[in-house]
Amino acid sequence: MEAAPKKEAGKTAFTDYDYSNFYYGAGDDPLNLLAPFNDWYQEALPNGYYLYSEPLSTAPSTRVTVRSRKTGQVHELINMASYNYLGISYREEVIEAAIEATRKYGLGASGSPILSGTFEIHNELAAEVAAFKDKEAAIVFPTGYSANVGFISSVMRAGDTILLDQYSHASIVDGAILAKSKTVFFRHNNPLDLERKLTGVKGKKLVVVEGVYSMDGDVCLLPEIVEVAKRHGARILIDEAHSTFLFGPNGRGVAEHFGLDKEVDFHLGTFSKSLGGQGGFVCGTRALIDYVNAFGRSRFFSCNLAPNIAAGLLAGLHIVEREPQLRARLWSNVAFLRRRFAEEGIDIGKSTSQVMPVMVNNDAKVFAIAEKVQERGLFLNPVTYPAVPKHKSRLRISVSAAHSEQELETAVQVIAGVLREEGIIRAEGK
Amino acid sequence: MTLTRYGYRNAISGFFEFPTENARRILPRHLEPAELHHGSSIFSLTAFDFTESEVGAYGEVVMSVIVAPLVKAGEKLPKSAFYPYLVATTTKAARDHAIERWHLPHWMEDVGVLFQHQGRTITARVAADGTPVAELTITDYSWQKVSHLYQSFMKDDEGAYLANITMEGSQSEHEEETGRLKLHEHPFNKDLAISEIYENPFRELWMRDGVQTFEPLIQLQTA
Repeated sequence: MEAAPKKEAGKTAFTDYDYSNFYYGAGDDPLNLLAPFNDWYQEALPNGYYLYSEPLSTAPSTRVTVRSRKTGQVHELINMASYNYLGISYREEVIEAAIEATRKYGLGASGSPILSGTFEIHNELAAEVAAFKDKEAAIVFPTGYSANVGFISSVMRAGDTILLDQYSHASIVDGAILAKSKTVFFRHNNPLDLERKLTGVKGKKLVVVEGVYSMDGDVCLLPEIVEVAKRHGARILIDEAHSTFLFGPNGRGVAEHFGLDKEVDFHLGTFSKSLGGQGGFVCGTRALIDYVNAFGRSRFFSCNLAPNIAAGLLAGLHIVEREPQLRARLWSNVAFLRRRFAEEGIDIGKSTSQVMPVMVNNDAKVFAIAEKVQERGLFLNPVTYPAVPKHKSRLRISVSAAHSEQELETAVQVIAGVLREEGIIRAEGK
Repeated sequence: MTLTRYGYRNAISGFFEFPTENARRILPRHLEPAELHHGSSIFSLTAFDFTESEVGAYGEVVMSVIVAPLVKAGEKLPKSAFYPYLVATTTKAARDHAIERWHLPHWMEDVGVLFQHQGRTITARVAADGTPVAELTITDYSWQKVSHLYQSFMKDDEGAYLANITMEGSQSEHEEETGRLKLHEHPFNKDLAISEIYENPFRELWMRDGVQTFEPLIQLQTA
C-alpha cells in the first residue's frame, strides 16, 4: 500500500498534481496560466521541487559546493548529477585553452555562423570532430537541443514521416514539430512496433533513435532497428548525446559499438555530456553538411557557439584522443557501481551505461528520499512524472571517470541507507 | 447545490495513444485534444459497475477523448478533462436518465457489460447487439483512498456543457503497460481507427467501492 502524503482535511496535496496539470488555462488571456500554476508551485517548491536548479558555486567535478534553495545554506556534496562523464571540463589544459581563446577572441562570437560569427576555432573543432567520428565533415551547433531541432527540420518536410522512439528527447520531438512532418511514435526500443508503424508508410521516412536513453540509461537496440528501417527504405538518425566519446573501440559511439557506423545515415552528438562543455554537432558527407549549413534554422538564426567554448572543447577532444584510459576508467566505475547496487538490492532498471536510474518507484516519497540523500552528502536529482511514467520515479545518477571508488562507495551506502529507511529496499539487501 | 450520486463497485479505465487527427474528427470544434506526444492524443475506455443510483444498478461503458481542462485560479484543479463521445448502458432507464440530465451521446440499445475479477486483474467485456465490441483488461498496482475532480464536456444540438465530477473511492493507477484492449470491428467502434490504437494501455486506472458525484450541469458559451 502506497502511503498517501499528509494533507489537511479537504485540501488537495501538492503531489496530486504535477507540471502536466498546468499546461492549459481557461479564458482568453495567456496570463491566466500563471496563477493556478503558481498557487501549486508555492507549495511544491519547499516540499521537494527546490531540489531542482540548486546553484553550484564550484566546477562540476566529483565534489561540488551547492546552495540549498530551501535553507540557503551551502553544502559540499559528492556530485552524482553532472554529466561530465570523462571529468574533462575542469582539466587544466581545457581551462587554459578557454582562457587563451577569451583573450584572443573576447567573450562571444557576436554573429550568426553563416555571417560574421564563424572563427577559425569553430572550423578547427568541426574538422577534428569529423576526423574523430571518421566522417567527411561536421557542423557545430550552439547547443545539443539546437542540433536536433535544426538538423531534423533541415532534412524533413511536411508530407514526410518521422518515426520516433516514445522516450525521445524533447529536442528530437521539437525538431519533428518544426519539420511539420507526420510524427509517429513507436514503443521504446521495440523494433517490432517500429515494423508495425513503418508498414505501408509512403514517401520520405526518417527513424530517430538515441544511442543511450537519458532517463533509463539503456542502449538502443540498433542492429534490430537498422534492419527494420533499411527493409522499409527509411533513413536513420542516431542521437549520440550520451554515448559519443564513450562507446565503441574508438569512442565514436553506439553505432561504432555495434559495427553499424556506415549503416546509420546521420550521426548527431553533443559536447555537453562527455566533454562537459556546450554545443552539438552533426557529421556525415560534405554534401549533407553543406545542406544543413544552408537549411538548419536553429543554427542559422543563432549566434555561434562562443569561441572560448569551442577552444575548450577542442582541448577536451584532444584529451579524449590522447587518453583512452579515461573511457576504461569510466567503464570500470560503471561496473563497480552496478555490482555494489546489485549487492545492496538496489534496482537500476534497464541501465547498461553510465546513466543509472536508482528506481524509487514511489511518486509520493521520491522527493523526501532525494532530500535525505542530499542531507547525507550526495548531489543528485529526483526524476518523477511526467518526465518518466507514473510510479517510475527515480534518482538519476551520472557516473564519471573522475569518481574515486571511495566516492562511489559512499554514494552506494548513502543511497542504500535511505532506501532501507524508507522501505524501498529490504533491510538485508539482496 | 444539488448533487447526483452514483455508487459503484468497480470503475476501470484504460488510456491509449491514438492519432490526434482521429481525436479531432471526434471532438466538437471548441474542444482541444490533450496530446501525450506531438500528434498523439489519448483515447480512454471506462467501464462502470454501478451498484446504486436514481435509476438503480446498471453497467455502463464510456468512450472518451481526453481534452484540455478549464483551469481557473482559485478553483479546485481538475485531475483531467474528457469528452465522452459515446456512452452505452445496460438499461434503458439509465440511458434515458443520462441523456436527459447530462446530455450524453448514447448507443441507443442496451449493451452487456460483464466484469470478471480475478486476483489483481479485472476484465470488462462489452457486447452490443449480442456481439462483442470491446474487452478491456487492467491490473492493479497499489491502492489508496482518493477524491479527484474531473471535468466532463458534453455537446448536443441544444448546446455545450460542462459537468464537474468527483470520483471518490480506492484507486490504483499505474503505467506498467500490463493491461490489454481488444476492440472489435463493429459500428460501436466506427469513430476509431482501430489499427492505430496500441493494444496495451499506457495507463491503467482502477477505482473500487466508491461514489461518483456530479455537480449540476454548466452551460458553456462557445463560438
